[in-house]
Amino acid sequence: MAIDIVLVLIPGFIIGIIFGIILQRGRFCMNSAFRDIIVMKQYKLIKSVILAICVSMVGFSLMSFSGIISLNPKPFMWGAQIVGGFIFGIGMVLAAGCASGTTYRVGEGMMGSFVALLGYASAAYFTKFGFLNSISSFLQSNTKITNADGSNLTLFGVLTPIFMLILGIIGIGLASYFWIFKELKAKKTENKPMLEFKDFGIKIFKRGWHWAPTGIAIGILAWFAYISSAGAGRNYPLGITGGWVGWVKFWSTGVDSALSWETFLVLGVVVGAFIVAIIAKEFKLRTPKEAKKLLIQYVGGFAMGFGAVTASGCNIGNILSGWPHLSLGSLLAGAFIVLGCWVMAYLLFMRKRE
Amino acid sequence: MVDITDSLDCRGEVCPYPDVKSKRKAKKMQSGDVLEIFIDYPLSAERIPETMKSMGNEVLSSEKIGNSEWKIIVKIK
Repeated sequence: MAIDIVLVLIPGFIIGIIFGIILQRGRFCMNSAFRDIIVMKQYKLIKSVILAICVSMVGFSLMSFSGIISLNPKPFMWGAQIVGGFIFGIGMVLAAGCASGTTYRVGEGMMGSFVALLGYASAAYFTKFGFLNSISSFLQSNTKITNADGSNLTLFGVLTPIFMLILGIIGIGLASYFWIFKELKAKKTENKPMLEFKDFGIKIFKRGWHWAPTGIAIGILAWFAYISSAGAGRNYPLGITGGWVGWVKFWSTGVDSALSWETFLVLGVVVGAFIVAIIAKEFKLRTPKEAKKLLIQYVGGFAMGFGAVTASGCNIGNILSGWPHLSLGSLLAGAFIVLGCWVMAYLLFMRKRE
Repeated sequence: MVDITDSLDCRGEVCPYPDVKSKRKAKKMQSGDVLEIFIDYPLSAERIPETMKSMGNEVLSSEKIGNSEWKIIVKIK
């Protein structure tokens, strides 16, 4: 089967490039976002994540009402999502990046992230098709619960699309009121202009982006990703894991059908991040000084790969794309990703060293 | 020029080691000391100055010294 260039390759690749540009410029990484709530007490990235989810939620809901997309929440498989999510969370602290963070940092020339990606992609492949599959299938099939008609569980059942709209709007409202307006007000009292368009190009291409435009941009990109991906026969917004599994399958079997919209998306993320990193002079091939760190990143990546396939999604599939669906499975997996991240971050960075 | 009391080289290190190490180092230093930090990780280039400010320290300078390399100088309060 030949690859459909117009519907699969080009749209996936272009959305991927834009995603990579936003990730690199916004330094958008969920591992840092969750970890720094407890380790550094920094909340900028988590605000970005929350805003992206709320913007996605409003868009998905409106697009579903108007019939542009049909919502496709992930299944609820509590055992798989608790175990997989927790292992993924632990893994991403060791790998020093979530699924999307690791992917875009490869484009920045970080060898540690490249090694983590190798572990991630191979473990995800082994869990999907290889020797680890028995564990994940066992967890998934024995703990799966669906609605009586076989559809996947969401937080508010048939009313979920309406609640998505309401919660999304409330979320955007609260974020604007408590975070964005406050920052603007502080600028006003310091007599700084609230928005400055001087040196706009430098701000976009040379400095890191502010958390709010980053979050909004990712949320809006997710709308187009949903439409474009559904058009390519994969009815789901952004995702990372399936893309890398697709590449490993393609390299090991040579079957064209392994290459999907998502495989071109992840390739686009690396390329997009590479382009803007070069422009900002932030591209540099760099390797951690100690070889031990590379090994830790590989192990972390491997844990992430197993966790993501078992929990049926990484931080992008389950949190960025899954939470806006209010899928019970994604909410549970996401909660355990955060928990795993916090446990490992506590052990590594916060416990008092004797 | 200010006298540098201590220097920390975090080049090659990834998230969150540059942030955590510089925070730990700054905590151990005396008031009036000057700490110089080298990093090559973009996210930390923005966050270390913020963390230092929130700890009450004064960021004397933060400059890009090369391709994805930054030098941050902090005065401990």
